[in-house]
Amino acid sequence: MSYDRELPAIDKTEFLPYSGRKQDPIQRPSANYWQQAFRKLKANFPALISLFIIIGLLLFTLIGDKIWRVDPYAQDLTQISSPPSFNKKALVIPDKIHYQPVYLSNLEDYTVKTSSTGMSIIGTPTTQFIAFKWQPVAGAKGYQIFRHEYLPHGIDDLGVPLGTNDSGDHVSYLDALRLEPIDYFYSVIPIFEEGQLNQYSTIKITAANAIALGDAVGLGIIPKHQKMHYLGKVINLPAHPLGTDYLGRDMLARLIEGGKTSLFIGLVAPLIFVFLGLLYGGISGFLGGKADEIMMRFVDFIIALPFLLFMILFKVAFGIGPGESGIFPMLVALILLSWPSVARLIRGQVLQLKEMPYIESSKLMGAGVFHLTLKHMLPNVTGLLLVTFTFAIPSAIFTEAFLSFIGMGVVPPTPSWGSLCNDGIQTLLTHPHELIFPALFISITVLAFNLLGDGLRDAFDVKTKGERP
Amino acid sequence: MPALTKLSVLVFFLSVLLSSCGISKKETALNEKNQEISLALTTEPPKLNSIKSADAISFIILDHLTEGLLRYGPNQQLEPAIAKKWKLTKTGATFWLRTDAKWQDGITVTAQDFVYAWQQVVNPKTASGYAFILYPIKNAESINKGKLPLESLGVKAIDDFTLEVTFEKPCPYFLELVAFMTYRPIRKDLHQEWGRAYAADAETFISNGPFTLTEWVHGAKIVMDKNPHYWDKDSISLNRINIPYITRDPSALFNLFLEEKIATWITPALGSGSIKKALKEHLSLKKFETGAVFYFEFNHRDDRLTHNKNLRKAIQHVIDPYLYTNKVLGIAGNTPAYRLLPKWLIGNKKPLHEEYPLTPVTIDHKIARDYLARAKQELNLTTIPPLYLLIDDGGSNGSLTGEYLQELLNDVLGLTILLDKQIFKLRLQKQYQGEFDLTFSGWAPDYNDPLTFADMFYSQNANNSAQYENVHYDMLIESTYKTTNPKLRAQLFAKMQRILQEDAVIIPLYYSGNIYVQHPRLKGVRRSRTGSSINFSYAYIIPENITLTESNNQPEAMPETKKVMP
Repeated sequence: MSYDRELPAIDKTEFLPYSGRKQDPIQRPSANYWQQAFRKLKANFPALISLFIIIGLLLFTLIGDKIWRVDPYAQDLTQISSPPSFNKKALVIPDKIHYQPVYLSNLEDYTVKTSSTGMSIIGTPTTQFIAFKWQPVAGAKGYQIFRHEYLPHGIDDLGVPLGTNDSGDHVSYLDALRLEPIDYFYSVIPIFEEGQLNQYSTIKITAANAIALGDAVGLGIIPKHQKMHYLGKVINLPAHPLGTDYLGRDMLARLIEGGKTSLFIGLVAPLIFVFLGLLYGGISGFLGGKADEIMMRFVDFIIALPFLLFMILFKVAFGIGPGESGIFPMLVALILLSWPSVARLIRGQVLQLKEMPYIESSKLMGAGVFHLTLKHMLPNVTGLLLVTFTFAIPSAIFTEAFLSFIGMGVVPPTPSWGSLCNDGIQTLLTHPHELIFPALFISITVLAFNLLGDGLRDAFDVKTKGERP
Repeated sequence: MPALTKLSVLVFFLSVLLSSCGISKKETALNEKNQEISLALTTEPPKLNSIKSADAISFIILDHLTEGLLRYGPNQQLEPAIAKKWKLTKTGATFWLRTDAKWQDGITVTAQDFVYAWQQVVNPKTASGYAFILYPIKNAESINKGKLPLESLGVKAIDDFTLEVTFEKPCPYFLELVAFMTYRPIRKDLHQEWGRAYAADAETFISNGPFTLTEWVHGAKIVMDKNPHYWDKDSISLNRINIPYITRDPSALFNLFLEEKIATWITPALGSGSIKKALKEHLSLKKFETGAVFYFEFNHRDDRLTHNKNLRKAIQHVIDPYLYTNKVLGIAGNTPAYRLLPKWLIGNKKPLHEEYPLTPVTIDHKIARDYLARAKQELNLTTIPPLYLLIDDGGSNGSLTGEYLQELLNDVLGLTILLDKQIFKLRLQKQYQGEFDLTFSGWAPDYNDPLTFADMFYSQNANNSAQYENVHYDMLIESTYKTTNPKLRAQLFAKMQRILQEDAVIIPLYYSGNIYVQHPRLKGVRRSRTGSSINFSYAYIIPENITLTESNNQPEAMPETKKVMP
């Protein structure tokens, strides 16, 4: 059969270009992979905040000690476990405690009472020491001294038994047991041959914050050459924005110092093991077949190894003696045992990429291994790599904190956030700031890195191309 | 509807909470009707076999279950127990036993039970950690070292109720010793029948003391009931001692006390935090001086730097026990120690520290640096290599003390101190093996005599972990073995104490004291420095409805408060 029909003639005018209203362009500025990712990250508010927090933390630990020039190891026994303070004042008092025990023999004017009365303060009551005396009680063979922080309710509630004067004519007491600038209620019970009678007397004494002259010079608050000038004056104590710890060390300085350890482990270990994982997983995935099979079984083997055990083994193997820092074996253990999970991820991604049509065509066009790796594989796993890295940091920081918490990481006096938490937990009831601040730093850092990692994952995910995260 | 669901969840949780409360409600601090009390322990007693026990917790339980020749009465005084009378001479002692003392199965306690027990203690096969406490008895040390047979021990049962002891050397404090846990009797027939199971469970424990071991759930619970066969049962008022809680957590213990679940607990003492809380709750706080002294001990072995006296002196002149105890440690109850021998030890008639006072070491950094310079010259070193300070993470503030010393010595003398932190058991092991330069250590007395502290530094003593060797000191120790004259002995101890200070053998830090809380209606609890630190045998409950003599003594008007701060 044949179709022998004439086609209709087409008029040329029917093919003129459209000359009506111009349409809105359906396009956006062309952006490459990185620009897109960054734009999506910018729109992700929590991730952005986290990024700023992380930059802030890095600055805090890296240049913090250049700004806050306080020795993190200097102990100030006059300010033990003091809460955050900025302009705490203290009275400068002499180094030597001028206290002469009061005995009846050197007391000129006294009246012997039948119950202990007439308690009076000797000298100026300060946080360095409080001294007081009382009128002797007839027939007493000694006195028992108590200290309370609240008004006693009765003879069974006189507070902490401080001590006993073993002689009836020793009628004074000097208390220097860790005093705070608060009100104290001191009570005295006379002891008789037949025991204790139901009588006591109480005095309320307010301790003023004070510092010994020698300590003030030692801390560099007052100049040595004219120190006598300051005696009896009220001076400003050094500010402790985050308070001090159980040995009077500045918490802020210790947090800066501790951050160095924590962030060092937190950044260096992931950097190295993510790189190792990339190398191993990349090779394994790229080679495929038998080689891949063998390499992956080795990864399974490494994953099964217990971290803590190896940490201890490395500590022994490196000859880290008692009292020496366990940071290096911790780093080695982290690197040697953490890379397999990264390797698995990368290998999976590379296996997938290898089957992509554009790789095929690239191969057909004669691209070598080098070209394929650099131009196709690497750019395509970068996003994944970055996300893995960001998630690895908090877990490394946490591992360090945990190991230092159980005493396997840093050794005293070097602080780390974990060891600071360990120290702080012992004074949780009385001085919660010693635990709260380091714990807060760990939490914020870990949270920030996690949120940033979350944001990065969304940003690099091609499937969520929309503007909103 | 959602509100209802929330409510039901709440009700569910509340009911769970209430029912769990209901279960534990049974355990109350004091049960007046049944004369029962409840307590808490920090750990389970590791060894309840009196010939092997060597720890404080086992001692406490054992003291309620067994009784020796003598015992400590309600006021810490020695009084007759299984022995009704005795005779102590320079060469030995004779004890006449009461005939009505019985084991919990009704069988009479005889002199043979003591002979068997003491022979077992020094038996090298027993490997008792406290064998040394029997060394005043003739041949005990040789038997313990495997040189003589068990039968040669200087103790003999003349008949069922007469026990004769021969001494190796004069022992004026022997009566104190026979009240100690290691000197308690053992039933030969049951010890041989039960073998290794002896005293390992409630069923394989035989008691001759005021209480019997009724129930022992390992790691969880101990119940002790009054022993109906105890010869002095009329002076025991409690029917049962419950120990339903075994925990180490100080705040858990404190909360159990606040909730009236326990009448008191044994250790640890209240820390600064708990004391503050107790003051806020207006609880009655009590103090008990444990009798122990804590100190830094130097390693005196030849190959250690601390063998150098000037180095030790340098460190000695830096550490201020007053500052350390009051500011660094800062826990009420402890008192600064300037010498080894605690205040409570009696010299001739008065306390030893009053009869022979010892001037404390002056704290002077300049003197310290001079000593250090001399030490460097003698050791031929320009800088002193790092020194190891051995500490433990137990309840005695090792870390705090270590970090304080580390910074102090670095600051004043430029010395580097490395902290070797170990668990308690390992710390002791390292200490006895000499793997330290300095150690933070403590010593609790075994009997009420200065010798319990002083002979720690006798070169022949196994407890001389510092391996301090001084011919003069040894001579003084040996002199105390030869005499019972209290005046002469006091002089000897004073001389030893002076040597310890001048030679900087140790640096005393503090005498420990415990602040504790106890149910106000529980009375008669005896706390003592030696042996069992706490005993409830003579404890009694004051009835709730009887109020004590009303106190008329009101606190007088507060004197004017003095204030200096602006």
